[in-house]
Amino acid sequence: MKLDPVTLAVMNHRLAAIADEMGVVLGQTGYSPNIKERRDYSCALFDQQGELVAQAAHIPVHLGSTPLSVRAAIAHLELAPGDVAAVNDPFAGGTHLPDVTVVMPIFLEGEDRPFAYAANRAHHADIGGMAPGSMALSTEIYQEGFRMPPVRIMVGGRPARDVMALFLANTRVAEEREGDLRAQLAALSVGAQRTRDLVAGLGRETVARAMEGLKEYAERLMAAELRKIPRGVYTASDQLDDDGCGSGPITLRVAIRIGGGRATVDFSGSAAQVRGAVNANYAITLSAVFYVMKCLAAEAVPANEGLMRPIRLVAPEGSIVNARAPAAVAGGNVETSQRIVDVLLRALAKAAPERIPAASSGSMSNLTIGGYDDFRQRHFSYYETIAGGAGAAPGYPGASGLHTHMTNTLNTPIEALEAYYPMRVTEYRIRRGSGGRGAFDGGDGLVREIECLTEANVSLLTERRVTAPWGLAGGGAGACGANFRIARDGRRRRLPGKTNVQLAAGERIRIETPGGGAYGRKR
Amino acid sequence: MAGQLDEAADSTRAARSATVRVGIDTGGTFTDLVATIGGELRVLKLPSTPDDPARAVLQGLSRLLGDHSAERITYSTTVATNVLLERKGARVAIVTDRGFEDLIEIGRQNRSELYALAPTRPAPLVPRHLRFGVGGRTRFDGEVEASLTDAALKRLRAALRRHRVEAIAVCMLHSYANPRTEKALAEALQALELPLSISHRLLPEYREYERLSTTVVNAYVAPRMVTHLERLQEGFGGSRMRVMQSNGSAIGVGQACAEPVRTILSGPAAGVVGAGALARFMGVERFITFDMGGTSTDVALFDGRARLRPLSHPAGYPVRTPVIDIHTVGAGGGSIARIDAGGSLQVGPQSAGADPGPACYGRGVAPTVTDANLVAGRLVADRFLGGAMPLYPARAAKALSLLGRATKSAGAATAHGVIRVVNATMERAIRVITVERGFDPRDFALLAFGGAGPMHASELALDLGIRHVVLPSNPGLLCAWGALGAPVGRELSLTIRETDPQLHALERRAQPLIRRARAELVAEGARAADIRHELYADIRYRGQSFELEVRLDAGFVEAFHEQHRRTFGHATPEAPIEVVNLRLRSYVPAAAVPPRRRGRSRAAEPLGRLRTLVGATTRMVPIFEREALGPRTRLAGPLIVVEMSATAYVAPEFTLRCDDYGNLHLELR
Repeated sequence: MKLDPVTLAVMNHRLAAIADEMGVVLGQTGYSPNIKERRDYSCALFDQQGELVAQAAHIPVHLGSTPLSVRAAIAHLELAPGDVAAVNDPFAGGTHLPDVTVVMPIFLEGEDRPFAYAANRAHHADIGGMAPGSMALSTEIYQEGFRMPPVRIMVGGRPARDVMALFLANTRVAEEREGDLRAQLAALSVGAQRTRDLVAGLGRETVARAMEGLKEYAERLMAAELRKIPRGVYTASDQLDDDGCGSGPITLRVAIRIGGGRATVDFSGSAAQVRGAVNANYAITLSAVFYVMKCLAAEAVPANEGLMRPIRLVAPEGSIVNARAPAAVAGGNVETSQRIVDVLLRALAKAAPERIPAASSGSMSNLTIGGYDDFRQRHFSYYETIAGGAGAAPGYPGASGLHTHMTNTLNTPIEALEAYYPMRVTEYRIRRGSGGRGAFDGGDGLVREIECLTEANVSLLTERRVTAPWGLAGGGAGACGANFRIARDGRRRRLPGKTNVQLAAGERIRIETPGGGAYGRKR
Repeated sequence: MAGQLDEAADSTRAARSATVRVGIDTGGTFTDLVATIGGELRVLKLPSTPDDPARAVLQGLSRLLGDHSAERITYSTTVATNVLLERKGARVAIVTDRGFEDLIEIGRQNRSELYALAPTRPAPLVPRHLRFGVGGRTRFDGEVEASLTDAALKRLRAALRRHRVEAIAVCMLHSYANPRTEKALAEALQALELPLSISHRLLPEYREYERLSTTVVNAYVAPRMVTHLERLQEGFGGSRMRVMQSNGSAIGVGQACAEPVRTILSGPAAGVVGAGALARFMGVERFITFDMGGTSTDVALFDGRARLRPLSHPAGYPVRTPVIDIHTVGAGGGSIARIDAGGSLQVGPQSAGADPGPACYGRGVAPTVTDANLVAGRLVADRFLGGAMPLYPARAAKALSLLGRATKSAGAATAHGVIRVVNATMERAIRVITVERGFDPRDFALLAFGGAGPMHASELALDLGIRHVVLPSNPGLLCAWGALGAPVGRELSLTIRETDPQLHALERRAQPLIRRARAELVAEGARAADIRHELYADIRYRGQSFELEVRLDAGFVEAFHEQHRRTFGHATPEAPIEVVNLRLRSYVPAAAVPPRRRGRSRAAEPLGRLRTLVGATTRMVPIFEREALGPRTRLAGPLIVVEMSATAYVAPEFTLRCDDYGNLHLELR
């Protein structure tokens, strides 16, 4: 049943406010800098079927994938009042292991089925595995850290101490993990309470109808948007540099068939899954498609699952965009997701050339530094993503040093980083001239250089070090990124895009991130 | 339009020797003045002169005071805000650590719009060629690793001269831990005779980007602000001049010239302070201000005192000085309603503005919230702005009918939909400042003003479970009133990062702050004995990176755990705590100025009746003139109250009463 225009608008506000409030609580109670300073989390509300009905605007890569976690939790566990499920298994609804999703069923008085679900997902700075920060250059998921299919971490309103202990025993900075998890749980409680308040005020049926109505509303908006694009099949390909294990370039192909207010996004012909950690599981690919479609829509489409109803995703199993267990996936979430966006935009540029920008940096340039801090006598694990140049669009030059597409995390302030980790930032600036040249220039990348004050293990998971971010309409490509190790005597040695090195005290790591592609020929 | 002197001007009783105090607020449209001359109260409203805001202020002052001269004038202004919004500030240079010159451009690496295909951000206030990196790095623990050389300082001075900069912002890493390098730079740059903004003087707190941005904004607005304030000070003659800050207290003109960044949001802050100063005369202590204008709406929470927030983003640039926590949404009376492609009614953020304005003003065609109110019979066509501006109900009805086709509704029902949607927007805004901050809106009164506030307040209150709505008398003067009654105050802070410290150790660390605040306030004419110092600390559990502000006294540790539990639902009393920042609030309390009492009223007779939307249906409802309502008035809703600047709708669930000062109270039955 179609909701009337007024109820739609009013309920959209009410449900979005619940997701917003969960986000405020999680952000304020979180322990780790990754959550507090960088805000690497998302909060959302789901209906009885486990379909997303409202999500606070946080991290795009979580958008399409959180529903899969929620549905996995529903499918694996019979959640009772007071239970909370946790899941991070990329092959059971997760994205990559550091992203831990918690799901709470919301029961109404006198009902024995959940009325709705509150969920949130946070990136934990370490989840065990072969390297601090759990973003290692792995070749199978077992090396990437502690893997949880949906399990109960709260049972009947009490923490499941055994499961929690198992989880904490498998991470490097247990105190921090516990604090972050507690913040995630606090956010769930608020989400559940506010949902029950809403039902108490408006009645069960009104809220349930509104949840369905809002999905239909998003569906209509998306369909209207697709109708604006000329019917046709739009294809493109792009590539990842390599998997860090000698794969060489990895090709992604997409064909987008648009017509009648619907679209099929078909990744057939993309490379098979690889040994290294850049495989994307289905959830990631779905998120990337979700993100691009939401960007396309001129209207403020509410972030719910109706948005995806007019869109069919074809991602062949066993390929780079839908890897099978036990593939290594640590970088699928952060790197391959960006390339999926690139290839989608490249195809859409042929359909709607007046709107689509050139390629942005296409890498989150993941840097993880960990080890034992001799000064503070504790283990540490620092994780950061470094922004690059944005692609130029018709009429707009690209912004410099800005996080684009699938991430929007903040940097760690230098004054926080140096106070808490045995490191010193020696340079942080815009990498001039790295943006592509054209009628509208691409944005420049960044330079971030860090000196280790104790011996430390450094993992790099970076892309666009070999293939450059492309320009459009004759615009030049952005410069490739580059990574260096700088010895105490100042000698620089170039490092591959994906590597793990042990640095001695006094050595530096220097990351130069890619620029964005330009738009249009330079006159 | 000529300025008009309010009724009190006829009073000639005031002795020439009486103490004269004045509060002034200049906004984009009007300049408002409130004065107390002995026991007499005078008010004046006149059009602003945006090309030279000082002109209206000085004209108004001489008309208001006549032969009197003011002992003290407190001024609230949007001059600094406008300099920033219009990007008409100074040519600023940044001096910072070498290797970090681009920090002002990089910011926190994030974008404000998540789903924009071409994300943009405001251009940095300082272009690349005016950013100068120097050596002399300080560590997080305050150890200076390398000192600046004289040769480097000389080169820097030469470069700054060559580029003919007008103001300088100095921000070095970890200067909160040890300001030595910044002090050395400040000393070396003195010779240039330019306004200097030094980060550790302004904001000795960690998080380099926010500190840098605050310092740069300060430098950017300083020269224009100084010129403006000096001109006024000259015009004010011997009066002591004070300037409102964004945190609701006033500082001396010297401080305002040195730290104008603290005044950027002083206009709206003065409004909240004014409401707070008058609240006791309205009989409310905890309230939510709801100021709904033509294009936007401001809401703020007052809980015995105005709530502060540490960070704001005027014109998109982060500023980390305390500001009154005012939340703004882009919806107001002029917001345009439309049906989107998915079949939902959207209200705003597009606005018809003042030109063409709502359809009922006679020029526009798009349906707005104001049109909906007119069609709903909550606005009286021939009484708008006291009857000075005719409204065209037929045009409003026609504009709304465009929506009605899509919503399959007509007339008042369509209007009802628009009003419900805009109220939902307002409700969400109020939830942000209450529920998200750990407050229950039902514990507060709703203080409604602005052109559209009183029209929506009673239904909004019903949505939020609020039982008491107040429509203050003379709402247009709240800001000037706030300036008149603002305490003189100074806020200082310092990052210290101490784990499990003792109270006396913290108090010792605070001594330099207290000395500085006292000296500055005494220089502003305060008596040392009158100054109150309140010490607060930003505290967190060690390892967290978000702090809660707690009053520092013997029970501060317990207070922190308790506040943590209240805010976040849990606490860990056995965990170590870290005191990150000390915050000192020093102020001289201001005596409350009572507003003017209202004379006895005539018996309230309705002016007429109007077919009005009540709930979801229409019925005939009486219209009253606000001027005719007095202390004995008690009327049951539904009804309409008209006055010069606004129209109020009282829902049937409420009873209206007028207090001794002319404030209207709507109380839930």
